[in-house]
Amino acid sequence: MKRGDDPKRAAEPVTAMKPEELLKLIAGARGDAICVPTMTTAPEWRDIAPDDLSISCVGFMGGASSLGLGLALANPKRRVVVFDGDGSLLMQLGSLATIAGAGPRNLTHLLFKNGVYHTSGAQNIPGGFDVDFVLMAKGAGYRTAYAIHEIDEFKRRLPSLFRDEGPLFVELHTGLADKTPMTARGGTPFPDQVDHLRKKLTG
Amino acid sequence: MAESVPASLILDAYKEIFREARGGRPSEPLGWVLSVPDTHQKSVLAALDKERALRTLTCATEDEANAIAAGLWIGGEPCILMIQHAGLYASINTLRGVAIDGKVPIFYMIGLLQRERDKDPRDSRHSMVRWCEPLLDTFGVPHARLEGPDDVPLIAKYFKLSRERRGPAAVLVGLETM
Repeated sequence: MKRGDDPKRAAEPVTAMKPEELLKLIAGARGDAICVPTMTTAPEWRDIAPDDLSISCVGFMGGASSLGLGLALANPKRRVVVFDGDGSLLMQLGSLATIAGAGPRNLTHLLFKNGVYHTSGAQNIPGGFDVDFVLMAKGAGYRTAYAIHEIDEFKRRLPSLFRDEGPLFVELHTGLADKTPMTARGGTPFPDQVDHLRKKLTG
Repeated sequence: MAESVPASLILDAYKEIFREARGGRPSEPLGWVLSVPDTHQKSVLAALDKERALRTLTCATEDEANAIAAGLWIGGEPCILMIQHAGLYASINTLRGVAIDGKVPIFYMIGLLQRERDKDPRDSRHSMVRWCEPLLDTFGVPHARLEGPDDVPLIAKYFKLSRERRGPAAVLVGLETM
């Protein structure tokens, strides 16, 4: 079944935001925030923001949000922004409750929602695009959770993503990224990213 | 014959480990304990609830605990994971990816629930107990047994080993702590 033929995709907005455009806007507004991209945001982010305060996790089986939580707890004076995927978050959905329980005020959890496991061939996630992660984040106890469907709204809210008290959850309704970790391999190996970021954070 | 270890001895060991990891610099909290509740170590978890110097974070899964530990370490914060053997089995892929391939030092206290007092764990009737050390051996994870109060110094030794090797290391809690 082609992506557009699946009835579960009916809820997808006609004007889904382009993930690349969102990432470029985030890069321009992030300041000294630590960013944690995973899966399809990782290849584009390493082109947009090379050699900076970021750590990509590919193959973490949904661990980006937890990695971001650890970074946020260790660096309470610095904003940490996770670029999660809907398929990834489903793999460690309990992390919503763990994050809410820890209550990091400096954590922004962005969910790039496209309804599919894009990296492995765009198979639908369970529940497709209809899964309401905002409701889940609210239910778990995030301080704030909402969805953004259009780019103008994203631009308007962008400064607050780095300013509002966390844990903050924002579901971004996007189309598919141009690149995935399978089509755009490479990048700095994870252990080297770890060393690089640790050195920057701990001096 | 294995003996139970008092929670107070384990907490004292944690504090000393964290003080040393910070080079003696004062800090609040002194260190982090990431736990997924474990019946075998419940007296330690109960004592941690009353402990002000250490911050305990209960995680929904061991997978989360591994990734959180990585974030804490990157940010310069020392931590210890307290899990049970079933959690080790559940999260072995994350241990592999984060602690082994990712070269993140992670130290685990693993409770061997149902371990028989008078039997070597490798001879246990219970598969969860029996296969724990072979599993760690398969993945090349150094490990030691906490078989009584005299073994408490092994906690610091294996914590340091995880740092020196930039990978996982574990202490297996033989009997339920008291």
